[in-house]
Amino acid sequence: MKLNVFVIGLLVCGASALHAQSPQQVFEQANQLYQQDKFAEARRAYESLVRNGYVGGELFYNLGNAYYRSGDVARAVLSYERALRLIPNDDDLRHNLLLANLMIADKIEPTPRLFVWDYWDSIKQAMSLQGITWLAYVFFVLAIGSGVVVILSRTYRTRRVAFSTGIATALVHVFLLVVIVARVSDLSRKDTAIVITSITTVKNSPDEKGSDAFVLHAGVKVQITDRLKEWIEIRLADGKVGWMESSAAESI
Amino acid sequence: MKQSILVTAALLLWTGRGVAQDATFAASVDKNPVGLGDQFTLSLTLTNAGMGGGKNLQLPDLVKYHIMSGPNQSTSMQFINGAVSSSVTYSYVLQPMEIGRFTIGPASIEAGGKVYKTTPIAFEVVKGSAKPQQKRTVPADLSSQIGDNLFLRATVDKSHVIQGEQINLTFKLYTRISVANYGIERNPSMTGFWSEDVEIPKNTPVSTETVNGKQFRVGVVRRMALFPTQSGTLEISPMEVQTTVQVQSRSVDPFDAFFRDPFGQTVKHKVRSEPVKIKVDPLPSGAPSEFKGAIGRFTMRTTVDKSTAKTNEPISLKVSIAGTGNIKVLESPEVELPKDFEQYSPKVTDNINRLEDKISGTKTFEYLLIPRYPGQRIIKPVRFVYFDLAKRGYVSLESPQIELKVEQGAASVAPLVVGTSREDVRMLSQDIRFIKVANVGLSRSGEELHSSGMFIVLLLLPLAGFVGAFVYSRQRQAEMLDEAGFRNRRAMRIARKGLKHAEQLMKTKGANTATQRLEFYAEISRALYKYLGDKVGIQQADMSIDAAVTELGKCSVDSDLSAALRSLLEWCEMARFTPTSFGASAMRQAYDNAKKLIVELERTLKAR
Repeated sequence: MKLNVFVIGLLVCGASALHAQSPQQVFEQANQLYQQDKFAEARRAYESLVRNGYVGGELFYNLGNAYYRSGDVARAVLSYERALRLIPNDDDLRHNLLLANLMIADKIEPTPRLFVWDYWDSIKQAMSLQGITWLAYVFFVLAIGSGVVVILSRTYRTRRVAFSTGIATALVHVFLLVVIVARVSDLSRKDTAIVITSITTVKNSPDEKGSDAFVLHAGVKVQITDRLKEWIEIRLADGKVGWMESSAAESI
Repeated sequence: MKQSILVTAALLLWTGRGVAQDATFAASVDKNPVGLGDQFTLSLTLTNAGMGGGKNLQLPDLVKYHIMSGPNQSTSMQFINGAVSSSVTYSYVLQPMEIGRFTIGPASIEAGGKVYKTTPIAFEVVKGSAKPQQKRTVPADLSSQIGDNLFLRATVDKSHVIQGEQINLTFKLYTRISVANYGIERNPSMTGFWSEDVEIPKNTPVSTETVNGKQFRVGVVRRMALFPTQSGTLEISPMEVQTTVQVQSRSVDPFDAFFRDPFGQTVKHKVRSEPVKIKVDPLPSGAPSEFKGAIGRFTMRTTVDKSTAKTNEPISLKVSIAGTGNIKVLESPEVELPKDFEQYSPKVTDNINRLEDKISGTKTFEYLLIPRYPGQRIIKPVRFVYFDLAKRGYVSLESPQIELKVEQGAASVAPLVVGTSREDVRMLSQDIRFIKVANVGLSRSGEELHSSGMFIVLLLLPLAGFVGAFVYSRQRQAEMLDEAGFRNRRAMRIARKGLKHAEQLMKTKGANTATQRLEFYAEISRALYKYLGDKVGIQQADMSIDAAVTELGKCSVDSDLSAALRSLLEWCEMARFTPTSFGASAMRQAYDNAKKLIVELERTLKAR
C-alpha cells in the first residue's frame, strides 16, 4: 500500500510540478497570491485546479473574485454562477454576483414567472447538496427503523405509532430525494451560458448573413435552447430569442 | 388647372344631355404661302371630342420644317342655347427649310374610341418673306436680313444612349452678322436628366463653319453634360437667347454706308434652338443589389486614419470613389460596421472636374466611428457596383477588409452603467467581498457524497437490517400459524418429561405413601393424555379415553395398541381412586407399559 502511494506520487511529480502539491496546497497558494494582489497568477492557479477536475463552491467563488479583480467581469459572472450551483446560500457569493451583474452593459428585465417556482428554488437551495444528502439519509434510516419496529413489535399500540412515524419519515425522505435529483441534474446542466466575447450580434437565423436580431455584451446570462453546428439558439431572461455563435458564450 | 376646372364644369353640364355631337379634327396654317425662313403656325383643332379629349396625337410628316415650338395646347368652350361645344387646339410653330410646294399630310387623333384625320393642306414655300410682319419691332427688312444669318443650334454628341451615359450638349450661336452681345433668356428644361454645366474656356477661339454653303462664325453659348436618369425618348426643350445685333439698312449705297455709323443699327433679336430628342435605353437587367445608379468608370479606395484605437477615441473611415461618370449623384456605398461602434452619417465631399468632355472627379464619404468596447473589430469589405459603359456590364469593386484593434481607453466606466436604480448605484460603490480561505471543500467532479462508495454502503446497512427483521418475523409468524405441527413435534418431548417425573416419584424413598402413588398415576395418565392430545390434535377439554381411541383409529393405529392404551388408562384411573390396592410392582408395570406404548405409538404415527 505504502509502495503504491509512493509510485503514484512519483508519477504525479513527473507529470507536473503543480501536481506534486495537494489540491488543498495549490488552493492555499492561490489564495496567498490573491492576497498579494497578484490576481492574474492567482487566477491561473485556481484555473489549474479546475482544469484538473476539481470543483468546489469556494474554488469557483475565489476564481470569480480573481477574474473580477483582473477586470474580466464576464468570466467573473461565469465563475460565480458555477459557484452558485454548489453553494447557493453563500451570502458573499450572492453579493459579489449581484455586484458583477451591475457591471454588465446589458440590463435585462426577467419576465415574471409563477411564484411556486421561486418557492421551489428556495427550498431546493436551502442547504448544500451534502447537507441535504445526509438529511435524506437520516430520514431514510428513521423510515427503515420504523418499519423494523412495525414488523417486530408485539403490541398493537407500538405498531400503530411506528407505522405512522414510518410513513411520515418515508414521505420526507422521498421529497428530499426529489430535491437531490433536481440539484444533481442542475449541476450537470449545460443549458445556461454566459456571453464571453465583449460584443456579439445575435442573428435571427443560424447564418452569418442572417438579419441581426439584437446585440449582447459580455456577461449576459442566456438559456441555450437549441444547437446547430457552431450556432446556438438562445433565450434571454426577458424572452428574446436569437442565434449566436457558440464560441461567444461559455456554458455554466 | 384651369383646364381641368373647365373640363369638370363641362362634364357637369354634359350629364343629362345624352346627345353627343360629332367630333371633328381639322388642320390649318396661319399663312400660305410662307417665305423661307419665316415662321408659321400649324393648328390642329379637335372639336367636340367630349370627355377625355383626344389622345394619341400623330403628327404629319414635318421633316422639312423646323419645329420652333409646340405642341402648345389651348382649350376653349362655348355655350350656345344650352348646347356646349368645346375645342382643343394643338399648335406648332414651324419654319420651312426648303422652297417649293408641299402638302402637310394628315394628322390623326383618337377621341372617344374613334380615330379622326385631318385633310391634307397644300402649302407653298416661297423665297423670302411673303408678307412683312406688322408686329415686329424690328423693321421688316432687318428682320429678314437677320433671319438666315443668325441662329442658335443645340447639338448633342450622341442621340441614342444608355441610361446614365453622359451626353454632351452644346448650344452654338451661328452668325454671319456681328453680334454685340447675348444673354440667355430662357433655360432649356432638362426633364429626365441630371445636368451639369461644363465650363467653356475663356479664350475659346471663334470657329467658322459652313452651313448650306454659307460660312458662319460659330460661338459656343453653353455647354452641358447630361446624364439621363430615366429611359425612353427624352426631349431637351429649346433654349432662348436674346441677342443684340448690328444691322445695316438694306438699300446699300456704298457711300451712304461709308458715312453712316460704322456699327450700324443695333437691334434686339431673339434666337431659339430646336428641341433635341434623345433616345435612352434602360440599363440591362441583372443589376446586383449594391447597384445604386453609378454609371461610368470608377475606382474605390477605403482608408482608416488609424488601425489601433482606444475606446471612445474617434476613428475616421474614408471611402473615396474616383472616376468618370455621374459622380455627383453617387450614393454612399453601404458600410457594414461593428455593432458596438457609434457611427454618424457620413460627411460627403466631392471634387468634380468640369473642364473636360467627360465629367470626372472624386467623391469622398467620411465616416466617423467611435468604438465603445475593446477588442478586435472587423470592418467588412465595402462593395461598390457601377455600370461600366465601355464593357456594357456591371462591375463590382470590393475594398479589402479592415481590421481594427480597440484597446481599453482610460475612462470607460461611465457609459457602461446605464439605467441603474438608486439602489444599484449604492451597490456599485461597494466592492466585492474577500475570497474564502477556510473551510474549503474541494472534490473532483463525480466524487460527491451521494455517489461515493461509503455512502452506498451506509445506504445498504439499514436496508439489510430491515430485510433481516422481515425474514425473522416471517419465520416466527409461520411457526405460530402451524400450531398443530408445533404440538406434534413437541408431543414426544413433553411425554418423556412427564414419564421422567413419574419415574422420579416411583424411585424416591418411601414412595409407597398413598399421596405419592396418587401423584405417580396422575403423572402417567397426564403424560399419556397430553401426548395423545398433541399428537392427534385433541384439545384438553375434549379429551377422554373414547375420543383418543377414536382419533387413533382414524390414524390407522391397530386395535391391539388401542386396547392396551385403553386398559392402561383405565388402570391408572382405577389406581388414582384406590391407590392403596396397587403395590410397587404394579407401579413399575404401569410405568413400563406407558413407556412402551408411547414408543409404539410414536413409531406407528410417524410411519403413517
